[in-house]
Amino acid sequence: MDSLIPFTTSGSLVDCVDRKMLVVLRDGRKLQGVLRSYDQFANLVLEDTVERIYHQDVFAELKRGLFLIRGENVVLLGEIDLDQEDDVPLRQVDWETLEPYHRQDVAAKKHREDIKAQVLFERKGFCKEGGEGDGY
Amino acid sequence: MLIFSVFKTLTDQTVTVELKNDLSITGVLKSVDQFLNIRLDSIKVLDETRHPHMMAVKNCFIRGSVVRYVQLPAEHVDTQLLEDATRREAAAQAKR
Amino acid sequence: MLPLSLLNAAQNKPMLVELKNGETFNGHLVNCDNFMNITLREVYQTNAEGDRFWKLKECYIRGSTIKYLRVPDPLLDAVKEEQKMARELGRSARGSHVSGSGNRGGRGAPQRGGRGGMVRGGPTRGGRGRGRGA
Repeated sequence: MDSLIPFTTSGSLVDCVDRKMLVVLRDGRKLQGVLRSYDQFANLVLEDTVERIYHQDVFAELKRGLFLIRGENVVLLGEIDLDQEDDVPLRQVDWETLEPYHRQDVAAKKHREDIKAQVLFERKGFCKEGGEGDGY
Repeated sequence: MLIFSVFKTLTDQTVTVELKNDLSITGVLKSVDQFLNIRLDSIKVLDETRHPHMMAVKNCFIRGSVVRYVQLPAEHVDTQLLEDATRREAAAQAKR
Repeated sequence: MLPLSLLNAAQNKPMLVELKNGETFNGHLVNCDNFMNITLREVYQTNAEGDRFWKLKECYIRGSTIKYLRVPDPLLDAVKEEQKMARELGRSARGSHVSGSGNRGGRGAPQRGGRGGMVRGGPTRGGRGRGRGA
């Protein structure tokens, strides 16, 4: 199971506990929340989680609450610098307003990736396996 | 384990990790594990505007399975040594 | 507190489960195991596009298909309270002279979920602390 992370001090997430973290999921979702717990599979407990969507220089958030995330779905975990966070030059808008633009972005990206995968398959011999549902 | 060992010798060096979604992150390699999960400190994201969610992130943990490439500092990798170790490993495998 | 302990503590509570394929299941947790396999009751299933719905009395979800679970916000604090009370109960049953090392055991448990998880044999964590202090 490639989701196993050995419990050594090097691979450990212990200094991330009780910190505000960014979690990027395989489906492309960006969640922010306080990391409360983790285990050797990198399953995570994220409290006061907020889901964010971005479009150009604008973002929107939706409160999502308490999450238990299965480790194999995590792409990256980023520690959010609370000072830098205030300097981020993005404007916040309503979720309902931004959501259609975000959906378009996602669809366009999927379209590009599908074409890329097809070309790589036909012309370069790449296989079509793997990356099911990957939207990151 | 060979490549894991290479990474272990490169802790505190600056590397660039390219993910399968084309996101490139440069940072100081703080740790690596047997699955080639990577912890990077003081990161700088290439083409930051395309990845706005990373703007306030200074350190990160990257799952090995999402990595496409890791660019290493050539001066810190003894390729001759690595080559020899690889040949020895391959010979040992062939014997088994 | 480990993620799977949170899940165990969520028995009979409502939750939302999203699968890797985007389907969602809203229901009450009946049971779960170490593989994150779960059974839910009174379930409302929705397809990934969000336009088809099913109602199921009960369902079993294989852990390996789960993307994430969303649980009620108060659950985390509720479980920590329970664990604290259980520890205090255990401590008073054993006697009052272990307060120093007992604190250590206590500190290890609630806040640092990861560190607590690192100690194999969770239930004996407090015991180990006491042993060290003695």
